[in-house]
Amino acid sequence: MIQSNLIPALDPNPLPAPYWVFKLLLIVTFVLHILAMNFLLGGGVLALAAKWRAKNGGFGGRLFSDVAKKMPVLLPATITLGIAPLLFVQVLYGQFFYTSSIVMAWPWFLVLVMLTAAYYGFYYASFRSGKSAGKAGGVMLVSVILIFLIGFLFSNNLTLSQTPARWAAKYFADPGGWNLNLTEPALIPRFLHFFTAAVAVGGIFLVFVALANWKRDKGYARQVLQFGGKAFMYATMAQFVVGLIFLVSLPRGLRMLLMGDSPLATTLLLVGIAGGMAAIFVMSGALRNENIRAAALYAPGVLAVTISCMAVMRDLLRDAYLSPYFHAGQFAVTTQWSVLPLFLALFAAGVILWLVMMRRYGLLGGKKEIERPQP
Amino acid sequence: MNYPVWDVAFGAGLLIALVAILHVFVSHFAVGGGLFLVITEHKARRKNDAALLGWLKKHTRFFVLVTVVFGAISGVGIWFTIGLIGPTATSNLIHAYVWGWAIEWVFFFLEITAALLYLYGWDKLEPRLHLWYGWIYFGAAYLSLVIINGIIAFMLTSGSWTKNHEFWKGFFNPTYFPSLAFRTAIALALAGIYALITSSVEKDAGLKARIVRWSAWWIVPSLAVLPLLARWYIRRIPADLWASARGPMPTATHYALFAVVLLSVTFVLALLSLLRPGHMHLAFSLLVALVALGAMGSFEFVREAIRKPFVISNYLYANSLYSTQIPGDGGFSVDEVNAAGVLPSAKWVSNRDLTGGNQAAVGREIFRVECESCHTANAYRGLKHYIALRQWDESKIQAMIGGLEFMHNSVMPPFAGTDAERGALAVYLNTIEPVSSEDAAAAAGGQTVFDQNCSMCHRVNANDPLFKNLTSDPAAAGEALKDLTALFPLMPDLKLTDPQRTALVGWINAQRSAKGFGNTAQGGK
Repeated sequence: MIQSNLIPALDPNPLPAPYWVFKLLLIVTFVLHILAMNFLLGGGVLALAAKWRAKNGGFGGRLFSDVAKKMPVLLPATITLGIAPLLFVQVLYGQFFYTSSIVMAWPWFLVLVMLTAAYYGFYYASFRSGKSAGKAGGVMLVSVILIFLIGFLFSNNLTLSQTPARWAAKYFADPGGWNLNLTEPALIPRFLHFFTAAVAVGGIFLVFVALANWKRDKGYARQVLQFGGKAFMYATMAQFVVGLIFLVSLPRGLRMLLMGDSPLATTLLLVGIAGGMAAIFVMSGALRNENIRAAALYAPGVLAVTISCMAVMRDLLRDAYLSPYFHAGQFAVTTQWSVLPLFLALFAAGVILWLVMMRRYGLLGGKKEIERPQP
Repeated sequence: MNYPVWDVAFGAGLLIALVAILHVFVSHFAVGGGLFLVITEHKARRKNDAALLGWLKKHTRFFVLVTVVFGAISGVGIWFTIGLIGPTATSNLIHAYVWGWAIEWVFFFLEITAALLYLYGWDKLEPRLHLWYGWIYFGAAYLSLVIINGIIAFMLTSGSWTKNHEFWKGFFNPTYFPSLAFRTAIALALAGIYALITSSVEKDAGLKARIVRWSAWWIVPSLAVLPLLARWYIRRIPADLWASARGPMPTATHYALFAVVLLSVTFVLALLSLLRPGHMHLAFSLLVALVALGAMGSFEFVREAIRKPFVISNYLYANSLYSTQIPGDGGFSVDEVNAAGVLPSAKWVSNRDLTGGNQAAVGREIFRVECESCHTANAYRGLKHYIALRQWDESKIQAMIGGLEFMHNSVMPPFAGTDAERGALAVYLNTIEPVSSEDAAAAAGGQTVFDQNCSMCHRVNANDPLFKNLTSDPAAAGEALKDLTALFPLMPDLKLTDPQRTALVGWINAQRSAKGFGNTAQGGK
């Protein structure tokens, strides 16, 4: 059976804006989503680690409680920021994304069930983190494991979506959709690559927690800074190994793109690696001098470069995987000029209103407006 | 055919209904409940009602746990589910309306942020600022309804979009405004209904009575105007679509009846709660919510049933085939599949050739790609049950499939494919409920013959072609029924036995005289 015959045809509707507009929106919103997800998963893993490392008192219990209270906000942030890339990936890659989702339909559907359970678990843990901390820890662990598994399912679906050659055998073996993509050699390395990144960025999240407490309680904030900063450094160091394994697990042609065949991809990889090293260097200095500003501003700033490079590389890699079946020129484009400006205007207004909302609440550097306790 | 079909044993349609109904029941609360929060907070502050404020704070937490958590996840859930079950429709909608969804996403983002700040701000913010967040929440939530309503209504009544493919032509389609008004009223009623639940756990009977009476102000007037809005809505639905809600395929009529009955019950229960408002019990409030969920679900079923055979009206059938050939359809219109055949057209079938030996296997695959978006073999809308009821043997099934688009007031798309493929589908369907030709010939009574063979298209009605045109002369009528396609070319080529034809003609004539259909035709038809 010729595989490309299995690739679903596009629907008759043209793209309602040029290809690059969706590509840009996809990559930018994906970065935002992955950051929120990293705070959630990495922050959750580290909070649990801190709690169980320091069983009797210490800063671990308090850190756990602090992070647990943030989870019910981080999860909706992850979901809400995830809806946009979910939307845009369907615009460009629907032929591949819908098909791979159908091939593994039940696990993919179960993401919803797991997400709901994890969400209520996080709420429980946040309400209980002070009162019955033991139970809260157990529930939080379950929720974090669920998020971990959801990430694994996402890795399954996205690797499957870019390897159409695997679809037919899986689908016809079980049209009921009980499939995964476990035979994909890059699956586990790729997932671990993302998970390790989540722990590293989770460390940065703890640095932000330290920053929030810096003026109020220096002693606690210092401990959190050291813990989070070290977690970031160790995870990023581990990433050099995990990333290498991921690179090796890629099909040769794709690997070579990152190693010279494509100047853009190679440059991004090198800049990404250099950024990771620089971030470790900055963080190490910040921890030595207890410089919260460097830890919470410069290290994440450098890391942002790495993450952006990685997100673009991820996209280049997808297009390389799909190159036999997909190219940007396949789309007819009829820009919907009657709607696009409206979206852009509302988007800009939305961002402004969102910032005003955050600042009036005293977040993002804003000053909380007159407080008055209420019944 | 273009995409693989997810084989959901208990029915893909049921799964999508489950996710969608739970979602709408929560998402409409998310809209109406937002207004309820801010108006109630205004009221409590104006009256300096600390107890009411205390309850409202708890109610906010409940509201967020229900709407932000379950509402948001089930909303994403609809995305996941329609992508799995209706990828072709989803892809079309995405490309036509992605900017609509992108706009909705902006509102959604503001909505979620405002909801969380409103919740966490109860103890932290001064009242005016707290209310400010509440109003932003409600504004964003309502605007997200304003957007999504356009896309949902578009699927039911695509208006002139099918001709010009213009975003706003499809968006502000004939049912846009009635649907928006209808959903707004539901959202307001649900705000009160959910408030009954949290009021029921209050200990202070006086406070409880105040909340219940206040909730009734949200429920009773909203439900009272619903019939008017429903009337407006129905009048905007083209007559031919609405026709499928009546007649021989009464799914929509049944659900419409459910919706009316359950809404009335909700209305009565809300009024009853006013008799002893201080005694509102959790079980009673949950009963009200459950009945309302049933009503809401029934309404969504009516909408979906009316929309059939389309998933996007006058454009795409429920089984993902385009109703007419259009540029870029990939060969997946009914006409193209008729000409080329299913096996060469479909991407996702494993059998490429039809031989004498693989008919059932091919039929199984054709069933999957053409029928499973709505039917199962023996579960939800199962054909096993249907065939057993009608006692169709293989040849009757094959004949009947040829006229699917006329059956049950055109609620189904036509079969697409070659005659040989239709035969293979019949062979497969005969395996799920084996009926022999002797079984099929066994029906003796005229009524039974009519029910099994004619009732899917014909009704006992003076204007029905069968009752209007078939000659009343028994011998001539029996003779005419021997060759149905000669009577009317689109009829299936059914072969009834001599006794069956005699019984049928006798029964038809008896119906005519019993129901006074008057002047019966004397001609040949």
